[in-house]
Amino acid sequence: MNILNRSLVRLPITILQSWTSRCTYVTNITDVPNFDMENPFEKERKQCILCKHNIIPDYKNVKLLSQFQSPYTGRIYGRHITGLCEHKQTEVETEIVKAQSAGLMATYMKEPVFIKSPKLFDVENPLRPHRF
Amino acid sequence: MITYELMVLLRIMPKSELVSTLKRTAETLFDKGGIIRKLENLGTRDMPYKTSVHGMVYNRASYFLFEFNAPPLAIRDLLDEYGRDIDIIRRRIYKKIVPEHQECTLHEELQPAPYRKNVQELVEQARKLDKPKFNYNTGLDYYPFQK
Repeated sequence: MNILNRSLVRLPITILQSWTSRCTYVTNITDVPNFDMENPFEKERKQCILCKHNIIPDYKNVKLLSQFQSPYTGRIYGRHITGLCEHKQTEVETEIVKAQSAGLMATYMKEPVFIKSPKLFDVENPLRPHRF
Repeated sequence: MITYELMVLLRIMPKSELVSTLKRTAETLFDKGGIIRKLENLGTRDMPYKTSVHGMVYNRASYFLFEFNAPPLAIRDLLDEYGRDIDIIRRRIYKKIVPEHQECTLHEELQPAPYRKNVQELVEQARKLDKPKFNYNTGLDYYPFQK
């Protein structure tokens, strides 16, 4: 390649061809990418918080259930806020209704004892926009 | 055999009376052909909302949990019996939860709408309502004559 750098020299096309062919043919086989491998960019499977820790919501576990309740109105937060899977969300909802009916849980507010319990999700940033 | 859970809220009373009330509830269970698996005291505390029963307003109650087996037909009678007991403020009978493993579907639910299975089913249903199109059976994918 020094010849090229020195000045503008016209080389016969055959020499150029022989250079390029040498570069392309002599490739190491180990450098060839393996196209049969799994998708390396596939994202990790997301799990909801109850499935991850293998928790089954129970109507007697009021401390857990109250975390899915609004402190202002006592209503149950929707799936777009809680970030639970469909199955767990229905379970949580039925258990909350059962607990409220059995006189274990408040209906129009969150019980003041549980107000400072840790937040499992951000109410202000739902997964999907609110419908109201 | 179904395992039930009976949640009873008893009014605040001295220990001897409490014992007799619990015995009475257990006796009625036995009378209806049930067996008790577990009896748990969940403590005495303020109720989340006041309850008025038997002409009184209660703000506090002692919580007790019975786990029992009984014929399903007896449940109605049991609830009726406990409803007439003046020491019982509130009673509920639920089936005991049998834990079953369910695969988490959150990952699929977070996909964009056209990739979600329930959306795909809806689209398929809507396709069924499409107007039928006349098939010319010419073996051609175009209409050979002038329209």
